[in-house]
Amino acid sequence: MLNLIIDFANTIFQPLIDLGAAPMMFILLSLLAILMKVKVSKALEGGLKLAIALTGIGAVINILTGNFAPALQDFVKSTGIELTITDVGWAPLATITWGSAYTLFFLLILVIVNLVLLIMNKTDTLDIDIFNFWHLSIVGLLVIYYSDSLLIATLLVILLGVMKFINADIMKPTFNDLLDMPEHNPTTTTHMNFLLNPLIMLFDKIIDKLFPSLDKYDFDAAWLNEKIGFWGSKFAIGIYLGVFVGILGRQPVSGIFTLGFIGGVSLELFSTVGTWFIASMEPISQGITDFMSKKLKGRTFNIGIDWPFVAARPEMWAAANVLAPIMLIIALFLPGSKILPLGGIIAIGLTPALLVVCRGKILRMILIGIIMLPVFLWSGTAIAPFVTETAQSVGALPEGIAEGTLITHSTLEGPVEKFIAILVGKAGKSFSLDSILKALGSLVVYIGLFVWYIKEMKERNKKYEMSKQKQTI
Amino acid sequence: MIKILAACGAGINSSHQIKTAIENEMKKRKYDVSVDTIVVKDITQEIMNKYDIFTPISKMKFSFKIDIPVVEAGPILYRIPAMADPVYDELENIIRDLNK
Repeated sequence: MLNLIIDFANTIFQPLIDLGAAPMMFILLSLLAILMKVKVSKALEGGLKLAIALTGIGAVINILTGNFAPALQDFVKSTGIELTITDVGWAPLATITWGSAYTLFFLLILVIVNLVLLIMNKTDTLDIDIFNFWHLSIVGLLVIYYSDSLLIATLLVILLGVMKFINADIMKPTFNDLLDMPEHNPTTTTHMNFLLNPLIMLFDKIIDKLFPSLDKYDFDAAWLNEKIGFWGSKFAIGIYLGVFVGILGRQPVSGIFTLGFIGGVSLELFSTVGTWFIASMEPISQGITDFMSKKLKGRTFNIGIDWPFVAARPEMWAAANVLAPIMLIIALFLPGSKILPLGGIIAIGLTPALLVVCRGKILRMILIGIIMLPVFLWSGTAIAPFVTETAQSVGALPEGIAEGTLITHSTLEGPVEKFIAILVGKAGKSFSLDSILKALGSLVVYIGLFVWYIKEMKERNKKYEMSKQKQTI
Repeated sequence: MIKILAACGAGINSSHQIKTAIENEMKKRKYDVSVDTIVVKDITQEIMNKYDIFTPISKMKFSFKIDIPVVEAGPILYRIPAMADPVYDELENIIRDLNK
């Protein structure tokens, strides 16, 4: 019976898969949007934009790796520092993930999980940030990569999904505090980067114990950001890093310029193509939101959107600006990391979580950020083979690419979850006692830390509640 | 033509949603607007002065004073028309005042 279903699915899906990722996702995304009662022309617009974005990202990766990969090899030869993985930043990884049909499957599962939790009153957050479901999907894809098991991948995705909803609820009072939001403002976020909060909070508590007077030395973040100006913008950073690789890789002067400008253009183009690709999710996001709010008539809820509303706080940028050069230095000397930071060097996968936990205390944010950076670099290194292979399978990486060229994202949200996915995936593959114990052990520690964090956040929220009552008296 | 600057944390997702929504709605209301998007951290006084209205995703702190009208556009992102309408109404009022 099961075989029959699989055979049936294969006869339908195999021709689709054979078309390649861009045409397949065009068809699937459009169909899903139509199913969600989006107007046909809007649905097609979204599907086509996704196909264009997939194709466009492939072209930019090609420009970047085509120029950087040989230079990086020379860099390794002349410096002896083994940094062979190209850091392409978030946009290619998001695109590659949305190039997989599994992402649509995980999306449906998570929408159902969200609805069930809302109806059972286990969460107050309605997540409409459809685009960012890719962060959970890439964790699922990583499990599948190691284990070939969709079931295990789905279970881990659901577990992390539930944790994200709980986290979105518990952070809400902090958002109100940090951003001066009135009580009735429903904004919150389920973004993956905030799953790092528990680990950051652990170090925050250590700082409380060891250097309680650290915060006295905080500086004005807005002032620093203004001083940095355009020197911290995407194209400028691309140019520095290209020149850096060129000089240390002993390229001719013309080659150094070329690398600098290619770096600048690639970082700008990744963002530009990134906007197409977010636009492609517009129709289906509206469709899912309409569907969910119709199911939830009469229930009040917070609304989970993408994280950038917290970027109103200048500390987030000041920390990212200060951490960027530090990350480059760490990357050069950190054992076990092979990434040369480029596309992900402005660590927006890290600083929003620092902001939420440390509540804008800038020196703490920087200090804990420095401790977190190696975790990101190791995680980025660990997933590079998977990312590269997946990119090839969705056609975002040219077939004829030089042997040994790897791509990744240096500050991809959820670094800890990537390690867990790898351990769980390996356990699902071999089913050996050793691997299962490792996977379970890591899950126990991970969930334990999260439970402790939730308890601490409840304390924090109680204090918010108390200070509010004082004000009204 | 009224020039509006929309800002968010990445200059990619949220600010583009705000841009598309404002342009569509203001066209419906028969106003000629064009919206540019930007990353919060790249905003300078010089850039801000080129625009008529600033529509950030949430309340923002800068090292300089903002001289143009500011409309917080975050509610547009909830994708629920009843919540976005007050933002559009406020924008419409400001645009009318500007055209005087």
